[in-house]
Amino acid sequence: MERCEYACGTNDHRIDRRLFLGSAAAGLAGFAGFNARASELAAAQKRMLVIFLSGGVSQLETWDPKPNTDTGGPFRAIPTSVPGVHISELLPLAAKRMHRLTLVRGINTAEDEHGRGATIMLTGRRTEPGIQYPQVGAVAAKLLTTSTQELPGHVQITPGGGSGFNKDDAAFLGPKFASVTLADGKPPADLLRPAVLTSDADREREALRQKLNAKFAQSRKSAQTEAYTESFEQAAKVVAKANAFDASREDPKAADRYGRHDFGRHMLLARRLLEQGVSFVKVSHTNYDTHHENFDFHIEQLGEFDRPFSMLLDDLADRGMLESTLVVVMSEFGRTPKINDRYGRDHWSKAWSVAMAGCGLKAGAVVGKTNANGTAVTEREVNGGHLFHTYFKALGLDPTKNFHPAGRPIPIADPKASAIAEILA
Amino acid sequence: MGPLAAISIAIVLLAGARADEPLHKQIDRQIAAGLKDYNKVASPMASDAEFLRRVSLDLTGRIPPASEVRTFLADTSTDKRIQLIDKLLASPEYARRMEEYFDVVLMDRRRDAKVPGTEWQTFLRTAFAANKPYDELVREILSSDGADPKTRPAAKFFLDRDLEPTIVTRDISRLFLGQNLQCAQCHDHPIVDDYKQSHFYGIQAFINRTFLFPTVQDAKAVIAEKAEGEVSFISVFDPKKVSMTTAPAVPGRKPIGDPKFDKGKEYAVAPAKNVKPVPAYSRLAKLAAAITAAENVAFRRAAANRLWAMMMGRGLVHPLDFDHSANPPSHPELMTLLADEFAKHKYDVKWLLREIALSKTYQRSSEVTPRTQDVAEDRYAVAILKPLSPEQLGYSMTQATGLTDVYRADLAKNLTEPALQAKLAPHLGPFVRFYGTRPGEPEGDFVSTLDQTLFVKHGDQLRTLITPRPGGLVDRAGKLTEPSSVVEELFLTVYGRLPADEERREIGEVLRTTANRKAALNDIVWAMLASAEFRFNH
Repeated sequence: MERCEYACGTNDHRIDRRLFLGSAAAGLAGFAGFNARASELAAAQKRMLVIFLSGGVSQLETWDPKPNTDTGGPFRAIPTSVPGVHISELLPLAAKRMHRLTLVRGINTAEDEHGRGATIMLTGRRTEPGIQYPQVGAVAAKLLTTSTQELPGHVQITPGGGSGFNKDDAAFLGPKFASVTLADGKPPADLLRPAVLTSDADREREALRQKLNAKFAQSRKSAQTEAYTESFEQAAKVVAKANAFDASREDPKAADRYGRHDFGRHMLLARRLLEQGVSFVKVSHTNYDTHHENFDFHIEQLGEFDRPFSMLLDDLADRGMLESTLVVVMSEFGRTPKINDRYGRDHWSKAWSVAMAGCGLKAGAVVGKTNANGTAVTEREVNGGHLFHTYFKALGLDPTKNFHPAGRPIPIADPKASAIAEILA
Repeated sequence: MGPLAAISIAIVLLAGARADEPLHKQIDRQIAAGLKDYNKVASPMASDAEFLRRVSLDLTGRIPPASEVRTFLADTSTDKRIQLIDKLLASPEYARRMEEYFDVVLMDRRRDAKVPGTEWQTFLRTAFAANKPYDELVREILSSDGADPKTRPAAKFFLDRDLEPTIVTRDISRLFLGQNLQCAQCHDHPIVDDYKQSHFYGIQAFINRTFLFPTVQDAKAVIAEKAEGEVSFISVFDPKKVSMTTAPAVPGRKPIGDPKFDKGKEYAVAPAKNVKPVPAYSRLAKLAAAITAAENVAFRRAAANRLWAMMMGRGLVHPLDFDHSANPPSHPELMTLLADEFAKHKYDVKWLLREIALSKTYQRSSEVTPRTQDVAEDRYAVAILKPLSPEQLGYSMTQATGLTDVYRADLAKNLTEPALQAKLAPHLGPFVRFYGTRPGEPEGDFVSTLDQTLFVKHGDQLRTLITPRPGGLVDRAGKLTEPSSVVEELFLTVYGRLPADEERREIGEVLRTTANRKAALNDIVWAMLASAEFRFNH
């Protein structure tokens, strides 16, 4: 497989190693110098956080309210920290942070089925037979992760299910960039050293393994054997950093601020992982598929969403990380303006919204418009492809470049679309 | 070498293959001709232990038990390697290995959909056990419509791909022609001049009239065909958007035109509601013969190249699905020779594998010497290291830890390959899960992922395998008192070789100085299983 032109960090890696070796030789003072350099690099490193509101959040109860219309529902629109911009009263804390947010209100993804809608939003492309595209997290991990990072670059936190290492979502980018699922925030079982394996035994057998490998490598060495033996060193580093996955080590006050519920805890874990240098984190919040009782459900769900989302924005800004972290709040699609006879809203992909913040974006900007009762886009219509371009442009990359799986050029983002330049800083 | 000898070698080279010369000798001659001073540069022959482990993994999919290593090392007969190759090819493990290898090649670890995996695997295993000619096997796969329960397993290739035209076309070209035409779907291949858009649609035209009956969702669906429908394609590079079509055709061969039928005579069974139509003329029925026809050289090249790659660690044409004039084989004449001889021997798979295994090229050591270290891999101056497949790794782990021997003893006089396999199969699952490619994805480059490494380091499956059990390795080695004998038992069992003096001393020292010998044995066995020497076929 030909290397992607970005081939992130190979030069950085070389420089770092030399710096590290030089510093180590210079003793303790040199070592401190290396740390300063590492933190500089960490600041320059870009990251991405996706908050995926599963099932399809209502744009009318969030970023594009239409009060006092036939489709508007019972909630008011409230002013925000950006004059003239109103969002739903269900997001009072987010409204106070509108000056950090960027809204895209003219999305038309033309796909009302959950799986295919998610594919559009997560890969920036429609489903095609014969080819699977990598998800945004795999692309981000591939392009943003430098070789000095020790933790996996692509992490997703799900409300339930099983923890584990996935194979599918990186498609042709390969399993290295596929996601690690932390179900309910818990790392995969094998990540932690089991109690029956004492640290002494672990150390001793590792030393033995290295000795055997060194002997083998004297006369039999290939890129493959090297990759195999190195994978043990990398794994040891991840295991040593396993605390990164443990949100309970955060300040209890922070846990109180985020909210003592699963989603609050998952968002705090997301902050922790981003701080530890993970390139991409996706947190899913469920379930917004409100065919029944749309309004009650949105009160409940968004009540849970608003606080940790706002706290995380504040924390990233306070830590100086928001400039280098792209935050996106997305769903498979929005919900129908028409309210059905069960007070529900159904799937609606023709006119809906996404909220973003941080890295490379114009803070406080709003792009795209829908008509008076939200049934159609009237200005600056975009689809999943435009959003995908925008994410990577905002992260300082060129999404028109190609990956080369098996020598075949495949553009990073759909060449039929382009970035939404108006909201790029 | 004197000048006369050099001249006579040159004459032999110029004269090409001698009719009576066995293929393995011709392989060696062609390989030697591919590198200046090859015979001086190339690594020596592999040791007996190295050869035994390699050929056991390649032909039976697992490392040899320690008892076999001992017997083979002690055997003084001069033709013992030939005897071994013949024994392995005749064993039921050979059929199992080939079944597993070709299952992955043909189905890319797809999840079972319409044909149960066990039926398909039995079909493959039976074919390889009977040494069914490879072209016949492929014809069965490309001609079964799934309607007859007896031949339905062969239809898995089509059925479990849902007869999806793009995927089926790509995979026919990739697997049976050695030409990945996927990039020629929307236009002539952008990089490969030989691959035309018309080639892609020529293959697709064999299947473009087929569909799954009664529905694609039905698990019992069979392949049905209409009497009409043409492929049409437009190059995305063509500004005029001219629509083109083609009759069914194998790339580079004449399209196969449809016979004309009078109106009303197009069907043997006319389409109607809930009726499976049968056309008077089936395009699909022409596919198997067209692909495997003698004049379609691509088929025998792809077939011979795949078996070569299975044994040698890389194709003469490399990658295997990229056969075209701008990517010539590493040894063009040898590629032609292998392909032609394979066809001449009626696609006798065992014969070809035997000849390859008999060659010096195959039997060379994988130990790099100062002379070989800068020689390109495709010169075959030194044997190529091959990562074990998930199946090879799983079976080798159960063999190395002694579990396989425990099962053998349990089965005692009821020991047969299928009975042993039934006991081993449950242990294989995690290896396939962690080391296999994702379902539907062709095998790619070697990767070593975090989850695999954590599985080895922390997973309870491997720990359970190593755990002492009566008759298992740790138990067996634990009963030996002399550290040197313990080390020997460990090395013969896990690495399939005797320890070097240094290893005997160093590992012996670990055993001598430990306070807890059983724990130390556990650690040593783990370290050996986790080492590169175990992970690769060398």
